Amino acid sequence: MAFCRWLEHLPWVVEMTGNAVQISIVWLFHFLGYFLVVGTTALVDLRILGLAGKRQNLTQLAKLLFPWTWLGLFFVTVSGFLMFAGYAGQFYPAGVFWIKIGVFFLAIIFGVIVQRNVPKWDRLPAIPLGAKAIALISLVLWFGMILASVEVPAFIACV
Amino acid sequence: MLTSIAHWLQNLPLILWLGSSDHAYPFVQLTHFSGLSLWISTCLILDIRLLGFGKKLMTPAKLLDAIFVWNWVGLAIAVTGGFTLFCIAAGGYIANPAFQVKIYMLLPVALIWHIIVQRKTRGWGQTEETPTAAKLAGGIELILWLCVMTGGIWIPNY
Repeated sequence: MAFCRWLEHLPWVVEMTGNAVQISIVWLFHFLGYFLVVGTTALVDLRILGLAGKRQNLTQLAKLLFPWTWLGLFFVTVSGFLMFAGYAGQFYPAGVFWIKIGVFFLAIIFGVIVQRNVPKWDRLPAIPLGAKAIALISLVLWFGMILASVEVPAFIACV
Repeated sequence: MLTSIAHWLQNLPLILWLGSSDHAYPFVQLTHFSGLSLWISTCLILDIRLLGFGKKLMTPAKLLDAIFVWNWVGLAIAVTGGFTLFCIAAGGYIANPAFQVKIYMLLPVALIWHIIVQRKTRGWGQTEETPTAAKLAGGIELILWLCVMTGGIWIPNY
């Protein structure tokens, strides 16, 4: 908690949080990152589930999308830390924030499992049921993370 | 006229319930952001491909074929959630300059540009290499969507 208080009182953090233009740029990168991560992951998951781009090769689609997933993840993480820094003392004790972080890491783990296994699944005559289950869990986790994310500001305001 | 429509929307029983419910309101936000994730990411991915990234993996025409349905499904979901969020605080939104710039100016321009780019992609995107016009069109669309997002982010500042 002492670290959080120290973080939110750093001069550049105070300046960034209080400046509408600077904090809006941080928000823009946060949203852009989220949209890239969730959207690209969802597309690959939907393709595995047989609900998108069935005429296109799964491995090629995944190879095209995954670099943007990782770029999105980079944007989300950096901008997310900057947003956390401004209100660290309020975020730290908020349970819903830690639920969001937990779901976020779980979703990344499932995303990595999908990414590593796509070429293998794609070589099989049909996508295995287990792969579809993993894709479905990944999809649910990312949308669960959005739900947790929209709850965070309301909870922080109540702290 | 617009004010009275906003007032009427805001006071519909379903909207009043959604606005006051701790459980329902986050699901409206989830709807909006889930749709936006699909919509924005599929728009940007095609723009990025038109700019020439990932040319060895898939032609823009094939990529468009893979994302087309979910691109528009994403917009439909985003609009459903967005319109519901608008209804909950319609009176405030219609008077908000950032909302006005986003909805009346940036969003229609970006949407029309997107439709033009999508229609042209079938012609431009048959080969690995995209023509200069395609690169320019993709770059402009990418900037337009970033402007729309900035308009949305700026709304709470008023």
